[in-house]
Amino acid sequence: MESYLEGGGVKIFFENELVVADFHLPNKSCILYVSECDVVAGNSYKRRLVRYRNSSSSFHELVLVENTRLSEQYFSAVQKFVVFDLGLTLLPVSGQTEASQLITQMVHGDGRENPFRRRSSSRLLDPLVLALVQQVPGVGRVKALALLQHFSSIQQLCNAAPAKLEPVVGQSAAQQIHSFFHKHTAGS
Amino acid sequence: PVCILVDSRCISSGVELVASLRQRHAATVHVCSLDGSYFIVSNRMAVERHSQSDIAVTQNRKRLAERVSALQGLFERVCLIVEKDRIKPGDVSRPFQRTRYYDSTVTALVRAGVRLLWSDGTEESAGLLAGLARLEQRKGQGITVPLEVKGQHKQQALQLYLGLPSVNYVHALSLSHNFRTIAQLINSSIEAIEKGGCMSRSRAEEIYRFLRYSCDSFLLQTSKAAGKTS
Repeated sequence: MESYLEGGGVKIFFENELVVADFHLPNKSCILYVSECDVVAGNSYKRRLVRYRNSSSSFHELVLVENTRLSEQYFSAVQKFVVFDLGLTLLPVSGQTEASQLITQMVHGDGRENPFRRRSSSRLLDPLVLALVQQVPGVGRVKALALLQHFSSIQQLCNAAPAKLEPVVGQSAAQQIHSFFHKHTAGS
Repeated sequence: PVCILVDSRCISSGVELVASLRQRHAATVHVCSLDGSYFIVSNRMAVERHSQSDIAVTQNRKRLAERVSALQGLFERVCLIVEKDRIKPGDVSRPFQRTRYYDSTVTALVRAGVRLLWSDGTEESAGLLAGLARLEQRKGQGITVPLEVKGQHKQQALQLYLGLPSVNYVHALSLSHNFRTIAQLINSSIEAIEKGGCMSRSRAEEIYRFLRYSCDSFLLQTSKAAGKTS
C-alpha cells in the first residue's frame, strides 16, 4: 500500500503515535482501515471503531472498509454500525490498491476548489419578493410591481388596509389581497 | 412508524422502492411535488439516490453539484445513497471500474459535508431510507406534521410558503398547519417562526428578514421595463 501511495506522489511518514487511526491526512482528516479479514473475523473490529470514534479530536474521521466477495455479506451490517450507530463516514474499497488511489485523491484534491461546497449565496432578494407577491391569487406581474412600489416589503403589503390597496389595484383586487393574508388557514 | 416524503418524479423509477418502504418497513410514504427528485426523511434531512455510474460520469458533475448545493440550502443534512448499477437480465456483468475522477467526486462530496451511503440495490436502499428516518425520529427530528393540506386557501398558503427563501417542503407544511393566517406568520417573531416552522434559528431569522426586506424601486423599475420588452 505504501508503494502505491508513493507512486501517486504522496509522501508518507511513519509514526508510532498513531495508535488509533491508521492514517492522518493533511486536510484534518484521518482514516481507519477495516480489512476483509477484520470484517470476516467477527466483532473485534467494532471495538477498534468505537475507540477510533471516541478518540475524536478535531479530525474528520473516515472509515475505509474492504468490501470484497468474501466480506460483502457483512457489508450492510458494517455500514449500519459505522454510519448509523457511530455517525462516521464510510467509504468502501475493494482492496489496498483502491484504498491507496482514494487516499491519493484525498491528499491531492485538498487544494482544488470543491464544486460541492455551498457558496454563501448573495442572491438578490428583490426577484424573490416579486415572485412571492405573485403567489397571491389575482396578482400578476403588473399588479405585483405596482404594489411593491407603494408597499416596499411583504410585511407592509400584508398589513395595508383595503382602502390603502384600492388606489393601486382597484377595489375587488384590494379586497381579495387583504382577505388572502387574513383568512384562516390552520385547523380544519 | 416513520414518515417519508417522496417527490413524484421518484415514482417511475422507484415503484419497488416505495412498495418496500410501505410493506417491509411500515413507513408512511407521502408522494408530493418537490423541487427535485429526492426523499425527505426528517425536518432537516434530504436523501437523493444515485447510481454508481451516475457519480462516475464526468458530464454529470455540474448537474450533481447544482442539485447538492440546492439541497444544502434547504436542509441541514444531505445524504446520497450510491446504488450499484442494475445489471439487465442477459447482460454480462462488468465489474465497476473506479476511476480517478470517481474518487475525486466521492472525496469532494465527503469534504462538502454530504453523507454517503452505499447500496447494493433497491431493497437495500429502502432499508437505508427507513433507517435514516428512524434515526432522525430518535433524535426528535421526525416528520410529525399532518401531510394533507385540505382546502384551496390552505393549498395557496402552502405554495406561498414554498416561495420563502430556504424553506423546504416540511417547513412549509409546518408553517401552514401552525399559523392561523398568513398575516400571523408575517408578523411573528423569529422565535415563533422557528417553533412554528420546526426549523433552525438561522433559517427563521432569514425568513423574518425576508418578510421585512424593502425592495429597491430602481431594481423593480428595470424588471418592469424588462417585462415590457419581453
